[in-house]
Amino acid sequence: MSVIYDLIRHAQLRHRAFTEVVDVLDETKFHFSAKDNLCAVGFQARAGSAVLDGYRPPFDATPVSRLRRAGGQLIGKTTMDEFGFGTFSTNSAHGVPLNPFDVERSCGGSSGGAGAAACLIPGHIALGVSTGGSISGPASFCGVVGLTPTYGRVSRYGLIDYGNSLDKVGLLARSASLVARHFRTIAGPDPKDPTSCAQPALPEKGDMPRSLAVPKEALQNLDPSVHDAFQAALLKFKDMGTEVHEVSMPSLRFALPAYYILATSEASTNLARYCGMRFGRREEELNQHFNDFFTGVRSEGFGDEAKRRILLGTFCRMVGFRSRYYLKSLAVRQLLIEEYRQVFRDHDAVVTPTMPFVAPLFEEIGRMKPLEMYGADVLTVPPNLTGMPHISVPCAYVHGMPVGMQMVADHWKELDLLEAASAWEKAFDYRFPEVAP
Amino acid sequence: MKIGLEMHFQLPTRSKLFCSCPTTSAEPNHNVCPVCLGYPGSRPSLNRKALEAGLAIARFLDCTIEERVWFSRKTYFYPDLPKNFQITQYESPLGTDGHFDLNGRRIGIWRVHLEEDPGRIKRVGRSGEEIAFVDYNRSGIPLVEIVTAPDLTSPEEAREFIDQLVTELRSLCGLEAQDEQSVRVDANISLGEERVEVKNVQGLRNLERALKFEASRQSKLLAAGKKVVRETRRFDEERKVTSSAREKETEEDYGYIGEPDLGEFRIGEMARNLDLKETPLVRAKRLVSSFGIGEATAKQLVLTSVALTDLFEELCRHVPPERAVSWTTGPISGNWAVLQDPAKWPEIVQIVKDDSDGRINDNEAKRRILSLAGVQQESALEGGDDLSKLISDFVDAHPEVLADYRKNPKAANTVIGHVMKESKGRHSSKEVVEEVRKELEKRV
Repeated sequence: MSVIYDLIRHAQLRHRAFTEVVDVLDETKFHFSAKDNLCAVGFQARAGSAVLDGYRPPFDATPVSRLRRAGGQLIGKTTMDEFGFGTFSTNSAHGVPLNPFDVERSCGGSSGGAGAAACLIPGHIALGVSTGGSISGPASFCGVVGLTPTYGRVSRYGLIDYGNSLDKVGLLARSASLVARHFRTIAGPDPKDPTSCAQPALPEKGDMPRSLAVPKEALQNLDPSVHDAFQAALLKFKDMGTEVHEVSMPSLRFALPAYYILATSEASTNLARYCGMRFGRREEELNQHFNDFFTGVRSEGFGDEAKRRILLGTFCRMVGFRSRYYLKSLAVRQLLIEEYRQVFRDHDAVVTPTMPFVAPLFEEIGRMKPLEMYGADVLTVPPNLTGMPHISVPCAYVHGMPVGMQMVADHWKELDLLEAASAWEKAFDYRFPEVAP
Repeated sequence: MKIGLEMHFQLPTRSKLFCSCPTTSAEPNHNVCPVCLGYPGSRPSLNRKALEAGLAIARFLDCTIEERVWFSRKTYFYPDLPKNFQITQYESPLGTDGHFDLNGRRIGIWRVHLEEDPGRIKRVGRSGEEIAFVDYNRSGIPLVEIVTAPDLTSPEEAREFIDQLVTELRSLCGLEAQDEQSVRVDANISLGEERVEVKNVQGLRNLERALKFEASRQSKLLAAGKKVVRETRRFDEERKVTSSAREKETEEDYGYIGEPDLGEFRIGEMARNLDLKETPLVRAKRLVSSFGIGEATAKQLVLTSVALTDLFEELCRHVPPERAVSWTTGPISGNWAVLQDPAKWPEIVQIVKDDSDGRINDNEAKRRILSLAGVQQESALEGGDDLSKLISDFVDAHPEVLADYRKNPKAANTVIGHVMKESKGRHSSKEVVEEVRKELEKRV
């Protein structure tokens, strides 16, 4: 077998990046993976949940079919937090992926397997999905480039929903050029996803951002080593001739609660369909009342975090709370879009660290309360809530672990971000772990 | 008595509301796809035809139509609902605040909105050992829901309201023929303070029965000095009674949120640009005002056939309306099966016109209409029916008439007198005179 196949097996067995891989590699094709919430013929699609055990979708997600048509071989499905519910990929029914740099640490989430695969396999392109930071987070912790496109840029047809107004399919790989090449393939309107049909065409080439804005609110509560590494990266950007300005974005602090309200509200309706009928797990006795039947299926099939988010979301939708939480969160989203637009009048991108700390140890994660875990998304949630494209690139290494830097641009300006990432790559050398399978 | 209705009609589209599955009948679970089965990763895209039909209804009912609308998710768990939420419209219906004129009385329309139908559950086997099957062919069929104000005052009126509404909507956007039987209605009825909702009644006859039962139940309670409890009740078709459904849900308990996969639709311009067909009852009103005919006659015409009414209007361009009425409601509608063929219409118009001009008399006109319809009258069979044959036979038998005519055209009167007598008044004198002159001139 080929070296690449050995690396794929290594990523699967040692780092649990994959739930399934192909038996044979087609060497004439480029190789890509898909997060397990993207449907693909020939593979199960379980989205990290036991409730979908055994589900083999009869159709390809549009990003998968587009990459296949462009000459790609889907070599496997990557591990993830159940339905995307998590920041560390620890909420997975099909294996928790282990960080390529240190197996005691998390890959980030929820596209943790995609981050690990992108890091461990040179030339590999991984389809990831972000709702509140699930591409940026793993890209940061695994030391790769992760592009989250504008909401509506890439068809969501065939994506198992978390929060439909927030979900975005994107890419993770070792370099911006690799991401840029395949981004063109998966972008563009698709009649099967009406929300993808309002997008402007991709330009030939992006514009290199000349002025970066750093919101001072984003620099609070950072791990000191991340803070210092980020400041050093900003200096490097200045050396490259890019302007860097501090700005204030006071509404950023509302993003996290608004995001969790909207995402869980939508998720709690999306997950209603998992009831042991038509697809997925069905071990319950059929001869009982429907309410008892589906309650049994869901009690057994869903993990704790899925149950927590269903409860939160159902609560937010209830009469009396709906206007206080759900409708107010919709207003916050608009407010935040306005605030970003204000910044984009004078600047081309907003830049922050991606995560407030480097990939944590699993034992640290075990001690975290749910609210602390949600808090780790504080920097990735704002662009996700506003549907703005963002990219995470490695910007430093602290004690051998990568630190990520996230750049956010205005709607539809993914190529500007890829220009910035390419320029950054010329000034900063990425490191990848030595793999000895 | 106050009655308000929530009616659900299937919109006449070829494909479902959010996918391209056909809406025709089929073996159970044959007209299904990942979208209408709610498979993970599938998502809806709106059927434009269904939107147009819904907007046509909203405009026809004179509703206020917002510039932008969106859809909502109504979440509840039921085996026939593939996603365990229904895509419907909650805050943002297609139309609000319209009305429908029922025999000159204005019935308020609160809202018109689109939604998807769930599947259908079929139970087989003995009670207690039943097996439930679910057929998803119906899942995703487009429905329009129309909600009225509580402006109806009796079960009979409620029934007539739906009957007239269906007539109008059928011609407006082609609702199915059996809609009187298949319409699904939730009815609110109150005789006193509190209202009772009778849910999920199918068909007009059942609706009237359910409302009558409920009206008498409530009036007995009130007469006995008791209170009517505000509740949801179900109608038992077999026993023809309503019984408490013991449901606690109110609309808000469904936890509505916007349907993010469909986004917003700008419908203002689409609604304004729709070309609304003239519906039968609207047309009847116009016939009354344009032609001065009676309302009952106008309704009879439009409810018999659209084409018959078209022919009526065509006749009105040539003859006085009262003549057009007597011909269309008389011999023409009596033989409509044959006469509806538009190829026959120019001849019909000519006959009626000739009759009106006095070129032929009523009997002859009727005979010709019937003959056009393939019906031969007794009187027409005896005595021969051809005017020119009658003339030429007489002239052949009396060659001296032709000789006289050469000298004096008044000789024609002999022929005319004979033919008038023979044809027993089937032909007007004007017509006979013209035909005789023609025949004689030909031979001279």
